[in-house]
Amino acid sequence: MSKVVVVKYIGDQRNRPLTQSEYKMLLTAALHTLSGQSDLAAAARRYLPGGVVGMKTNCLAHRLNSTPLALADALTAILVSAGFKEKDVVVWERSNRELASAGFTLNVSGAGRRCVGTDANVTGYSDEFHSSGEVNSLVSRILTEIVDVNVNVPVLKDHSVAGLSAGMKNMYGAINNPNKYHGNNCDPYCAHVNNLESIKSKNRLTVIDAVRVQYNGGPGYAEDYLAYYNGLVISDDPVAADRIGFEILEHLRAINGQPTLERAGRPVRYLASAEKLGLGIADINKIELRVIMIDKNGRESAGELLE
Amino acid sequence: MKRRTFMSCLGCGAVATVATQTRLFPPVINSLQNAFALGEPKELSSMEARHYKKLPAGGIECGICPRHCQVTDLERGYCGSRENQGDVYRTLVYGKPCSLNIDPIEKKPFFHFYPGTQALSLATAGCNVNCKFCQNWEISQSRPEQTENIDLSPQAVVDLAVQRQTPNIAYTYSEPTIFFEYMYDIAEAGHKHGLRSVMVTGGYIEQEPLRLLIPHLDAIKVDLKSIREDYYKTIVNGELKPVLDRLVQMKKSGIWLEIVTLVVPTLNDTDAEFRDLANWVKVNLGADVPLHFSQFYPQYLLKNLPPTPQATLEKAYAIARSEGMQYVYLGNLPGHPTESTYCPQCNAMLIERKGYRITQQNLVGNHCPKCQQVIPGRF
Repeated sequence: MSKVVVVKYIGDQRNRPLTQSEYKMLLTAALHTLSGQSDLAAAARRYLPGGVVGMKTNCLAHRLNSTPLALADALTAILVSAGFKEKDVVVWERSNRELASAGFTLNVSGAGRRCVGTDANVTGYSDEFHSSGEVNSLVSRILTEIVDVNVNVPVLKDHSVAGLSAGMKNMYGAINNPNKYHGNNCDPYCAHVNNLESIKSKNRLTVIDAVRVQYNGGPGYAEDYLAYYNGLVISDDPVAADRIGFEILEHLRAINGQPTLERAGRPVRYLASAEKLGLGIADINKIELRVIMIDKNGRESAGELLE
Repeated sequence: MKRRTFMSCLGCGAVATVATQTRLFPPVINSLQNAFALGEPKELSSMEARHYKKLPAGGIECGICPRHCQVTDLERGYCGSRENQGDVYRTLVYGKPCSLNIDPIEKKPFFHFYPGTQALSLATAGCNVNCKFCQNWEISQSRPEQTENIDLSPQAVVDLAVQRQTPNIAYTYSEPTIFFEYMYDIAEAGHKHGLRSVMVTGGYIEQEPLRLLIPHLDAIKVDLKSIREDYYKTIVNGELKPVLDRLVQMKKSGIWLEIVTLVVPTLNDTDAEFRDLANWVKVNLGADVPLHFSQFYPQYLLKNLPPTPQATLEKAYAIARSEGMQYVYLGNLPGHPTESTYCPQCNAMLIERKGYRITQQNLVGNHCPKCQQVIPGRF
């Protein structure tokens, strides 16, 4: 049984980007619920015991639909409050260009939180190939050599090939040759990318931003197909987190007149493949789901995943 | 960079910039590199690609190779060198070679195409297949951000070839199909200056772009990696049939054509496969098309296999000859007698080679000096 927590903001001004403090409220509630720990530091330490923490973002769609800076800032603040040094937090993506275009301030040399792309001169990819199934890739040195643990912080969106782009698909941004693994709706490649030892062993937490969801026309930005869900999906099981993300995506597609991903020709089979590899739970009946609604004052109440 | 080094950058004064390239792989650039100032990492090309169509529901479909990648905004095709930017498909590698050398034409290999001449040889990052034995995977399996590129316009390539007195320009090392636009424009400009262009390819290209390209080329060498579809599927990550179709198209066009097969132990080295391959070439392309069998060295994803035994290559040679192929060569066996060209009529030594060097050239024009047999090729 895997546990997934969905936290939804029901403040007074829905359908807008959330602020750092609002994200912090959601993250705090989610970590408490996921870990069962009342102390936030202990909750964070349960998944991220120490060392250098990576934060893999998804900045493909630039500022329009990427991991929000406010979310990364809120998560950083929680990690600092849990005892991590700010300089031991590394926000990363495959390129400096993408990070900058999403609003992040690049930083490898100054004080404070690090922020760097794999393509920066100081990083690059592993010298040796990492392999799983048909996937043979060089992996970002940020993941293999710099960070001890990683938090995967993608955005939930439709993907023209994979169907679902959430946590697992985001790890394509950690390898040197993602373009080679989009065949057959990324199945089983997406599962095997996440089965690469360096990815599997360091990814400890998935935080999917589902505040504003690109429910169709992704992975780039398509303004005609945006819907607000106002939530985060959090789990230490990367497959289960994506499975719940899939439910949200399909729901938003349905209420906005889009066919299922299966009917649209991009069935999401890689979740089942991932479960077969032992990466987590794809069967929704085996996922313990907790949905928390949070108002502007931080009051929590139980909610439903799909409304 | 190790973590300690990265973290120590805190006080080293370095400043992160919006760099577009990493210094991942040592570039395959010889001393010519010194002719250019590499300087700071450059932007990628944004030239619009050719041979694609916009899809009614958004996105584009690439038509440069048989994959026909359908690519939505901000995504790339399988090759990694072409990107959809707002439903305009762009080549990221136009004018951005990552490899530049002057090679003997024999290195391509071309054995019947102006023997002893030199070729200014270039490549960009990217490839439309993913051969497990790739010898140049550092560039072919990379995206252009991951290689160290230089800025070199088509005219600058031509000027360099003229300056270095290389009569040939070779598009090679990775897969030139994926830098089609760059290759096409160089070849076109090169012809205006009397320079020949040769394409070294896997032949995994669509019919129409090839048709348009051929008039600007002078020779094509195709890696026919196997005659088995399954091998293409599992080892090459491609398809055999389109390659065979393009080979026939090339032959019919009249362009000079040579074929190379890398013989990989246990994967494509049976007698039956050698026979089938040679027979297919003879029937569909002709017995006088030079056919090279090359020795494999453990590389990339096939480091577990040994080099091809010389005896296996000699067996391939014998089978191909017995099938009627007239010009069969063994590659990567420097000093072996099968590197040389013999008259199929009287067996006279016509061109003697030691590695890439020509040590004897006995052809008279394109005739055997002893029996006057016409030798096919461009001499």
